[in-house]
Amino acid sequence: MIEVQNIYKTFLIPHRVEALVNVSCKIEAGEVVVVIGPSGSGKSTLLRCLNHLEAADSGKIIIEGIDILDPKTNINKLRAEVGMVFQSFSLFPHKSVLENITLAQKVVRKRTKNESLDKAFFLLNKVGIKDKANVYPDQLSGGQQQRVAIARALAMDPKIMLFDEPTSALDPEMIGEVLDVMKNLAREGMTMVVVTHEMGFAKEVADRVIFMDMGAIVEEGTPEHFFTNPENERTKLFLSQIL
Amino acid sequence: MNQPATIKKSKTASYYAWVGVFFLCLAGLIGALYYSTIKIDYVWRWYRIPQYFIFKEKIDIKSQVVGRISEISYHNGKALIIVKTDGEDKTYAVPEGDIKVSKGEYVNHGYVLAFYEKWKPGILLQGLWLTIKVSAIATLLGILIGLIGGLARLSSNPAFKWASIIYIEIIRGSPLLVQIFIWYFVLGTLINTILGKYGINPIPPLWYGVAALACFTGAYVAEIVRAGIQSIHRGQVEASRSLGMTYAQSMRYVVLPQALRRILPPLAGQFISLIKDSSLLGIIAIRELSKATREVVTTSLQPFELWFVCALLYLVLTFTLSMFVQYLERRTAV
Repeated sequence: MIEVQNIYKTFLIPHRVEALVNVSCKIEAGEVVVVIGPSGSGKSTLLRCLNHLEAADSGKIIIEGIDILDPKTNINKLRAEVGMVFQSFSLFPHKSVLENITLAQKVVRKRTKNESLDKAFFLLNKVGIKDKANVYPDQLSGGQQQRVAIARALAMDPKIMLFDEPTSALDPEMIGEVLDVMKNLAREGMTMVVVTHEMGFAKEVADRVIFMDMGAIVEEGTPEHFFTNPENERTKLFLSQIL
Repeated sequence: MNQPATIKKSKTASYYAWVGVFFLCLAGLIGALYYSTIKIDYVWRWYRIPQYFIFKEKIDIKSQVVGRISEISYHNGKALIIVKTDGEDKTYAVPEGDIKVSKGEYVNHGYVLAFYEKWKPGILLQGLWLTIKVSAIATLLGILIGLIGGLARLSSNPAFKWASIIYIEIIRGSPLLVQIFIWYFVLGTLINTILGKYGINPIPPLWYGVAALACFTGAYVAEIVRAGIQSIHRGQVEASRSLGMTYAQSMRYVVLPQALRRILPPLAGQFISLIKDSSLLGIIAIRELSKATREVVTTSLQPFELWFVCALLYLVLTFTLSMFVQYLERRTAV
């Protein structure tokens, strides 16, 4: 469970940007929440604050009962419980697909070589690229790379998965394969926070949609409510632009 | 790895003409040099050079007692010479064949009983070895200092960061020659005097020379390491940290292996410079290759041959290093 209470985040470099202004939300275990909004609305910043890649300036973020902004919190331990998938995949280019998935298992989870390999093969099978275990990331298509990145995050057995525009850097024909993996994950009951522009995914999979603009949550609700009957003017404007 | 595409052009007559011009110029230069040495009556004596690399030393075995040779016996290619004296008999084991005395002969102190010859490394070979040794140690220390310096330079801790910046700026902003003098005449005097007060043997100049070179190289390596780490995309650190790795783990498993690959060529250049810079150590009485050459020149009076040989030896060292690094680059390329 994630609880965000009144967080603020201001970037000073390269120039002053108020990325998050008094943001509060609550995400229950097993819930799939899709965050949408125009670019620069703070949705990626919110996601990055959830696993402390960005430190919120003030407010409170409580994940699984742990206050992550408390300096005494072991942030590495928390991050192992919160998987993250990036827009640009960020696979380790000097390691093979298998090594990408086993590295953190061995280093962080202290699993043996065999345990981590078993896990890696299980996950590669799950994301449908078992035959690519020994190739290097630059030999894979974008969609395949992103599926490896998902497998890499899942290998840590996270309780929560964060997706930061996972399909934005993909060619259109590859978006489907990545979304399918994510849909399966949602069906299995994973707690997911997804920043995306894929409205189809939001409609089909999301339990709740959060719309952000100018660093604040403007409106939230079920997909049915959100797409058919939005209340806020800015939400209506945004939806009219993209749909 | 992809080979860069080269377009094969058919070679025209003018191409071969210019090849001819190149070799003609080269031959002309060498010829002019040779002609001018003849003009000043310089006698080239290349045959004298090998002895400074390796030579046969004759070693005499001398009697240390007064007496008569009582027995010479041979076994296993060795000869045992027994000298009978008034007191205890003395036995000498010498190589068979080069015995200068016979049985019954009377020998005095310092009388040569036998001799043997032994190959010994000449002064140039010793100098070359010292250059290799100094460069190798300074390279290893330089990598260590550079790695720590580079990481400290990127640290957000002001103590580490500022210390690293000051170190790099001081070292890069002053001549190596001056730094060697400071290491030897200032720090060396201080340290050796203090050690002497506690009855500890002084540290030989070699180690001050190594320290000067290592610190000098370390500053440049630190900047190379910093640039290499910064060239790795931020996403790599974020991805590894998001998996729960610590900063150190992320550096060790993800960033540094990728950075190392990128910084190999500039590092090689730095270490080639280091080999050449080690020639400055002659000024603090370290007999590396250049100092050894200078010494041989003063005794042999064959400066032309010797300085060419000296330059050639440095070239062999630097070329070998650059070949080795190229091999590493190929091996680490994905």
